[in-house]
Amino acid sequence: MKNLLIIGWRTLTKPSGYYSLGALVIGGFIAGIIFWGGFNTALEITNTEEFCISCHEMENNVYEELKTTIHFSNRSGVRATCPDCHVPHNWTSKIARKMQASKEVWGMIFGTINTREKFLVHRRRLAENEWRRLKANDSLECRNCHNFDYMDFTQQSERAAYQHSTALASGEKTCIDCHKGIAHQLPDMKGVEGW
Amino acid sequence: MKDLKLVSIAGLMALLSTLFLAPILTSFTVHAAEKVEKAEKNTLATLRNHTEIMTQKKPNRMPKVINNDIKQVRNYPMQPPVIPHTIRSYEVNKNNNKCMSCHSRHRTEESQAPMVSVTHYMNRDGNFLAEISPRRYFCNQCHVAQLDAKPLVENTFIDMHSLMKQKTANTTEH
Amino acid sequence: MSINRREFIKANAVAAAAAVAGVSVPAIASNLITSSDITKLKWDKAPCRFCGTGCSVNVGVMDGKVVATHGDIKSPVNKGLNCVKGYFLSKIMYGKDRLTTPLLRMTNGKYDKEGEFTPISWDQAFDIMAEKAKAALKKDGPEAVGMFGSGQWTVQEGYAAVKLYKAGFRSNNIDPNARHCMASAVGGFMRTFGIDEPMGCYDDLEAADAFVLWGSNMAEMHPILWTRLTDRRLSAPHVKVAVLSTFEHRSFDLADNGMIFTPQTDLAILNYIAHYIISTGRVNKDFVNKHTNFRLGETDIGYGLRPEHPLEQKAKNNGKSKGSSTPIDFDEYAHFVSTYTVEYTAKLSGVPEHKLEALAELYADPKIKVTSFWTMGFNQHTRGVWANNLVYNIHLLTGKISTPGNSPFSLTGQPSACGTAREVGTFSHRLPADMVVTNPKHRAIAEKIWDLPEGTIPAKPGYHAVLQNRMLKDGKLNFYWVQCNNNMQAAANINEEAYPGYRNPKNFIVVSDPYPTVTAQAADLILPTAMWVEKEGVYGNAERRTQSWYQMVTAPTGAKSDMWQLVEFSKRFNIEDVWPEELIAKKPDVRGKTLFDVLYKDCDVGKYSLDEIPDDRLNDESRHFGFYIQKGLFEEYASFGRGHAHDLAPYDRYHKERGLRWPVVNGKETKWRFKEGSDPYVKPGSGWDFYGHKDGRAIIFALPYEPPAESPDDEYDLWLSTGRVLEHWHSGSMTQRVPELYKAMPDALVYMHPDDAKSRGMRRGDLVKLISRRGEVQTRVETRGRNKPPVGLVYMPWFDASRLVNKVTLDATDPLSKQTDYKKCAIKMVKV
Repeated sequence: MKNLLIIGWRTLTKPSGYYSLGALVIGGFIAGIIFWGGFNTALEITNTEEFCISCHEMENNVYEELKTTIHFSNRSGVRATCPDCHVPHNWTSKIARKMQASKEVWGMIFGTINTREKFLVHRRRLAENEWRRLKANDSLECRNCHNFDYMDFTQQSERAAYQHSTALASGEKTCIDCHKGIAHQLPDMKGVEGW
Repeated sequence: MKDLKLVSIAGLMALLSTLFLAPILTSFTVHAAEKVEKAEKNTLATLRNHTEIMTQKKPNRMPKVINNDIKQVRNYPMQPPVIPHTIRSYEVNKNNNKCMSCHSRHRTEESQAPMVSVTHYMNRDGNFLAEISPRRYFCNQCHVAQLDAKPLVENTFIDMHSLMKQKTANTTEH
Repeated sequence: MSINRREFIKANAVAAAAAVAGVSVPAIASNLITSSDITKLKWDKAPCRFCGTGCSVNVGVMDGKVVATHGDIKSPVNKGLNCVKGYFLSKIMYGKDRLTTPLLRMTNGKYDKEGEFTPISWDQAFDIMAEKAKAALKKDGPEAVGMFGSGQWTVQEGYAAVKLYKAGFRSNNIDPNARHCMASAVGGFMRTFGIDEPMGCYDDLEAADAFVLWGSNMAEMHPILWTRLTDRRLSAPHVKVAVLSTFEHRSFDLADNGMIFTPQTDLAILNYIAHYIISTGRVNKDFVNKHTNFRLGETDIGYGLRPEHPLEQKAKNNGKSKGSSTPIDFDEYAHFVSTYTVEYTAKLSGVPEHKLEALAELYADPKIKVTSFWTMGFNQHTRGVWANNLVYNIHLLTGKISTPGNSPFSLTGQPSACGTAREVGTFSHRLPADMVVTNPKHRAIAEKIWDLPEGTIPAKPGYHAVLQNRMLKDGKLNFYWVQCNNNMQAAANINEEAYPGYRNPKNFIVVSDPYPTVTAQAADLILPTAMWVEKEGVYGNAERRTQSWYQMVTAPTGAKSDMWQLVEFSKRFNIEDVWPEELIAKKPDVRGKTLFDVLYKDCDVGKYSLDEIPDDRLNDESRHFGFYIQKGLFEEYASFGRGHAHDLAPYDRYHKERGLRWPVVNGKETKWRFKEGSDPYVKPGSGWDFYGHKDGRAIIFALPYEPPAESPDDEYDLWLSTGRVLEHWHSGSMTQRVPELYKAMPDALVYMHPDDAKSRGMRRGDLVKLISRRGEVQTRVETRGRNKPPVGLVYMPWFDASRLVNKVTLDATDPLSKQTDYKKCAIKMVKV
């Protein structure tokens, strides 16, 4: 085993004696495409709801709660899947989010939230992560679908129209400030602003 | 002659049979019609769409929640106001009380929602607390949203204000 | 101010026009009416008309109309609060379809079973009733007449009915709808303690450290008790709440430990807790040694179905069991429950082990004061009496009983299920004050108080609620009177039993109700009935609190109270019509008298004069009969319990109090029974005294888990549970007529898990059929309502007269209590 590693290392550090530079460049290029494509494909797979709820922690807690909300079932059938709200669309944020998500994988492996009770213990912290992220990006994932410019206030209830045309319009508030807990149940809200 | 006799007998029989059968037939049709009418009329079944017990009318569509934010008049001052908006996914549980994020005293300036009545700050012994009394915690025990459904039976309850108006009208004229 | 006739007419016309236009013509220059003689309301107290909590409400009357109601601040039960139903009490009497005249099915001016409902006079109504009752009595004797009464009857009404049937007609075929509600609780109390009704009281709510809800959705069904429980939980953070149910409901909003269990496995969970207490060495040995006995109960007792049903044929002790048991010792009991290990119980019930352990610890920890509440989850159960016995076991093993906060507490559904049905004993086997017809001594006591010859009261129990419908169908019960309930909407399996029973040409069915209910629709004669504060009465709530109220408004012309109907009807019978000659010969002075004379007038009932009624008080019934009949009925009834641990205060005192908890001894109410210091009946020096049993000991029963009568299979693949909702009570007969309550919850939907809907190609709002082996009902799907059933179970409430879920339910009962199990049967669902 040790010998094998040593041989491998030596091969890599030695200059190429067999292949032309061109072949190496082209080979590297193709390999790059395969790796990059594979990486992206793999990344995309992790961005599907099926992947998210393949962990029972997700399926039994947050996904189960989502089922009865308006983001799951509504008039027009436009549905939010997990990544719509929880995976940023732009690449750098996405990768940053994925790095954070590796912690979730760790959590799954070690059973940090493998019962409902354990999940509830961590819920406030987990929710705060998402609130913080959405607050920081001005509720970007909300706005991917709910564009302020195209809201028809006359179709909203009086209360909603009032708040949207004042607090939201002025930028004083962002979506998540008022719409916490619309897709999942809330943690203990003690001390949360607006509660 | 013989033929004639036969014909006349046949005719007589036909006549007789008509006479006998007609009332039975008519009574049968009338009876059937009555049955149908009875089933449909059934004026007693006020909560059952006037339907016989062993049949069922097609259940109406699920009505929607009235979400117009228009306050409804109370039937008397102590009646808890009904909720004029949807409360879908509003959580009121051990963790939090969504209603209070608009209706509690310190939230009403921002929300412009009506503040809960002062009675809600009183404990069992009538003393005022600094926050909503926990005995009033579950808003939905007294306050209910209204669905857009037409009541099956009219209610003839008279508002005390109407009674008083009648009386003031009467006293004015004397 | 003088005004001539012409001006008067003119002014009136203006006022009338203004009234039509909806504007007021103010008497003074203000839009406010301030004159006190106009704004004044006459306020009076009354218990709420709805549930067994027994809140007191203040009723505001103006010009003979109820115009306002609110929670009574002086009442210790609710301290000024009401639930949404209670706040809308003002409107329950004013549904536009109030009945005001008797209606008889007639064709061409004559009674016809298939005829149309036709208005008749009260005289004509009593004529035909008397004719039918006498014919039935003459043909087949007292067993051919019967009555289905109510836990909504006033105490006096229930007592008048019992007397009319058990003494007058000599028939025990009288049973209340409370049979559907808490017969299992009665069975549990009688078996474990030998005396009915809770030892604790609502004061436990402010004293307990932990609450366990067993098959009780208090948040919706007993909202005011839930406010007290919430108050305790949220203001004292150490308090814990555990909630057990077969589906998630609003009470889970406050749960620290919410548990969904597979239907029927509550029996196993209860035994597991007993095992946990024993195996962790937390038995209160001193208490157990001094105050309890152990017994092994008879098993395999069947499911209370018709005897020819395969399940009954299969059961070893079907139909024979009276709940017999044999004595065992503690070790035998410990061995019996040792099969209910946490692993076994978790597997059977579907509740995770750690949750079961957390629950068991609440009971086992000697430092935690624990109160258990239950309602229909336990009582509407084919092993309902067992479930009640088993919960007492765990309180008795730990000695957590009869002290503040330590309380096994059975809640009731109806406002006077305790006061009327149980205490008066309007059951087919009972007499007042926990006595039974099968006991010759008890019959003798009743006959003595009623001043009747020996042998008047029959010894054989009559037909209970479920049996009444079966006997109607079989043509054995031919004159049947239903008062103050809606059994065609409530009884299970009406397709096969109740409906064919009511419509059986051999039978004559009378239904008394303020409104045209489903039951009225199935009747032959409907009697219009006065309700609630249109009469004077007494109710008894779930904590033994007896509360009275005065009549406050007159009933709509033509409507008469249940009590008036019973007593007035008794005038139609001469004693010779109903009693055999040999009975009359034992007491010849009754000869020539009517039942009215014998049962109501010439006895203790008739001895209170009208002068005792304050002049400014309405009392239509007493003034009609010529004596203070409500007081007379109450006082005679109270004589059964005084001195026998059921003491009631003098009648007049109840008008002054916000109720008193019996036994009321030396003017003092009793909060905790069976405990020295708080219960005057406890022998001094005993500490605890369960005096319902002769040796003063309560019984701990060894009873196993047995499977339900019907479980889902390949074809009928779903559990169906039925129940109530917050906004509607008493089958919706009153609440569905209050627009605000109707609009809050107009239709009975079927609540189901989104995955169950999806796998059947259904979605929210879809029109579906619920089909059982007995019948079907159509409704619409709700996947995100207040009730959240697990996959495999659906819930449909029964308040909706237009969607009769009782065409689907199974009429299996607890063979001991005869109470129907409405919480579990197997159905399938298809899209329409």
